Amino acid sequence: MPTPNIDDDLRTMLPRLRRFALWLARDVHAADDLVQSTIERALSRWKSRREEESLRAWLFAILYRQFLDGKRRATRYAQLLGSLSSDEPTWPSAERVAVAHSTLAAFAALSPEQRSLLIWVSVEGLSYQEVADILGVPIGTVMSRLSRARRALRQLGEGDPQSPSLRLLK
Amino acid sequence: MNLTPPSEHDIHAYVDGHLDDPRRSQVERYLSRHAEQADEVHGWRHDAQQLRTLLAGDLAPAPALDPSRVRERVRRRRFVRMGMAAGIVLCLFVGGIAGWAARGIGSGDAPMADAMQAYRLLAVDRGVGMDITTGNENDLRAWLSGRVGQDVRLPDLADAGFRPIGGRLFATNEGPAAMVLYDDGSGHTVSFYVRPPGPARHFLPRGAREDDGLLANYWSEGGHNYAVVAVADAAGRQAAERVTGKAI
Repeated sequence: MPTPNIDDDLRTMLPRLRRFALWLARDVHAADDLVQSTIERALSRWKSRREEESLRAWLFAILYRQFLDGKRRATRYAQLLGSLSSDEPTWPSAERVAVAHSTLAAFAALSPEQRSLLIWVSVEGLSYQEVADILGVPIGTVMSRLSRARRALRQLGEGDPQSPSLRLLK
Repeated sequence: MNLTPPSEHDIHAYVDGHLDDPRRSQVERYLSRHAEQADEVHGWRHDAQQLRTLLAGDLAPAPALDPSRVRERVRRRRFVRMGMAAGIVLCLFVGGIAGWAARGIGSGDAPMADAMQAYRLLAVDRGVGMDITTGNENDLRAWLSGRVGQDVRLPDLADAGFRPIGGRLFATNEGPAAMVLYDDGSGHTVSFYVRPPGPARHFLPRGAREDDGLLANYWSEGGHNYAVVAVADAAGRQAAERVTGKAI
């Protein structure tokens, strides 16, 4: 019976999924909802997963798609109501302290796709090919988007005069 | 010395530490001669390290997200949903059966119970409360066709000793009903009752039943439901038989 193994595999991925979800949604509750629906979907689609696909990339892809779907629904709903909800991040108090750090503040200000790219590549160490598969774009496109994301993070981080990263650079 | 600028791929791979030694030194050689790009690339590398460090913090544990708990929750939700679906199906089924069983109800539980009610109301008092009091069959026929239907046939029971004494209209759920009361001059009365079948088009098989001392014969013909009601004694039975025999 493969069930315990599936659960164990998913369990080891939970912290990474939660971290990714938190930085994607920038809201603890929304992040937990995202992770839960990702786990649900992973459980129901476990058999359709291709062997050679890494579990990590597969789960990130599911979570990212869930996030985009949710955002699309929210936008449509907001348009129905005649007003676009503000994109202000709602941070739990603990994370608000962390965001005070300039690099994190800059990171939080990037677009969701740029945040995802940087987490996948810089933090999680996914291969460029895996990222290309998740986003469904050629690898060259991943490269140019990665350049743009890294440049944006640099600019936003340096725009802050109190940025400690400036001093660290010297 | 090769000074062609490294590809975008190689620059990122350099930042992320994916390059093998020869290609890494190639990139480093290039950057050492291009200070501006070197600044940017080193900045990227610094940012990547920062992100790794800053995002490494542990989140508070969330036992609710454990796969076994999620699995359990999905199972429970599916069970509840199946229960609800089964409940809806059951409601439709019971409602459908009950509705089908109750399709004739509206005038009472039994066929033409309204006819028996009408008889009780009028015949006992020998015609008190009639809408029309006449022994003239032509008048009664005209009265009937104007109110219940053109093609209602009034039975002629003269040879059985019964003469009409009048009629009365009733409002029923199925539409206007009319009753014509016959009398044989020696204390026996028979009622002839007719009404439309109602929106449910509920026609009756020929039948008879006794209820509380009354006898009812009923049938459907030409788009109307008919009943003949009399007291359930020998004279009443005989009279009713004659009426139904005439009406067929």
